[in-house]
Amino acid sequence: MEITKEQKDSELAISLKGRLDNSTAAQFEDTVKSSLGGVKSLILDFKELEYLSSAGLRIILSAQKIMNKQGSMTIRNVNDTIMEVFEMTGFADILTIE
Amino acid sequence: MDPHSQLLLEQFKESLPVYRKLKDIVLKLINDSIRKNGLFVSSISSRIKTAQSLSGKLELKGMKYRTITDITDLLGIRVITFYSNEVDKIAALAEQIFDIDWDNSVDKRKMYSHDRFGYMSLHYICRIPENIYSDPEMPELNKIPFELQMRTVLQHAWASIYHDTGYKTNVEVPVEYLRALSRLAGLLEIADEEFKNIRTDLDEYRRKIRTLVKNGSFEDIPLNGDSFRNYTELGPFDPLNEKIASINNAEIEKVSIRPYFEILVNMGIKTIGELDRFLRNNVENAYQLALHQIGGTDLDIISSNIGIQNLCIVHILKQGRGLEGLEWFYDQLYGKQPRNAQRARRTLQQAKKLAIIKEEK
Repeated sequence: MEITKEQKDSELAISLKGRLDNSTAAQFEDTVKSSLGGVKSLILDFKELEYLSSAGLRIILSAQKIMNKQGSMTIRNVNDTIMEVFEMTGFADILTIE
Repeated sequence: MDPHSQLLLEQFKESLPVYRKLKDIVLKLINDSIRKNGLFVSSISSRIKTAQSLSGKLELKGMKYRTITDITDLLGIRVITFYSNEVDKIAALAEQIFDIDWDNSVDKRKMYSHDRFGYMSLHYICRIPENIYSDPEMPELNKIPFELQMRTVLQHAWASIYHDTGYKTNVEVPVEYLRALSRLAGLLEIADEEFKNIRTDLDEYRRKIRTLVKNGSFEDIPLNGDSFRNYTELGPFDPLNEKIASINNAEIEKVSIRPYFEILVNMGIKTIGELDRFLRNNVENAYQLALHQIGGTDLDIISSNIGIQNLCIVHILKQGRGLEGLEWFYDQLYGKQPRNAQRARRTLQQAKKLAIIKEEK
């Protein structure tokens, strides 16, 4: 999985490419943990994300919890497969998905 | 200014660090006590008299004071409450924390005869007892008095506007304005009483609903924010969530169920009894729907709203509201968005396996 970060002032955009599964979740977790200091707006761009596992979902939820305290988090460009994961697990209503 | 007053002013200026420390300690003691006792107040503010303001006071009545500790309002703390009965609660907390100088404290609320209306506030002159706080480096902290003013938001509004007139005493105010201000004071006193009554009645209503819900007497309880909270505190959706979680041995992530309250109301559920039947009548189908949805996946984390989400879907389909009903549900849940039509089609497809779909109305 490829992770691209782009930061402008307190806005951070993280783009993911490939599969966010058990083998790549740790890489994503490290990126999130080390990048959120001082961030007020987090944008997760899933345009090129093909697959999301429970491990990845857990990290998205923990990022959401952090951002609830310090700003906002938006998930963009979610494909149908990944949207179905959010919906089936009942998390779509607590995430801001554009 | 006479030499004695000049001396008092100099003493005050030298003691400013002590007053600042006293202010911080008093604010902390009051804040901690309010929080510990589960009270909510509108605001807590503080001020140390400026040297200029003290100078004016001393010029008028400097000889009245022997030392600066005879001046009781050099540090002022003001607690503004929402309700009139909370002024007495704050006063009771102050009595627990501080030594109160009763001779110099005044309850302006009780000063007026039955036909007079005006400034209403409770003023305590306090000191910090050594058993509550002491600092060997600053023993004066326990000797300096401070004034604690306690009043409601409305009493504060009246006092602030009265102050804004620039008059210091009633006798200076032109009589027509004094009458208008007194009239307003009476009006606000009624408003304060009404707000207190509303709050007391609401507390009583909430207690009653809580008891009814706990006793399982659901039928006559209207569905509203309070009854919904009391009902969900019983964990009625937990068994369904746990059963769904067991499909993949999943972890349940607790999230707020609050967004569903409005959806349930808009679905026409009017009482807790109806909500309870909505749960019991749809629970098996809601589980079956989840089985079809996540049974073939390895997803092992679910939201605590998964149960109620599926209950709503099943309920809508059983009512024969079909695709349109599902789209309406997703509009309610996620807000109107183009994706909801697609969501509705996908859910309908999954639900077709459950044989619960009635012909669309």
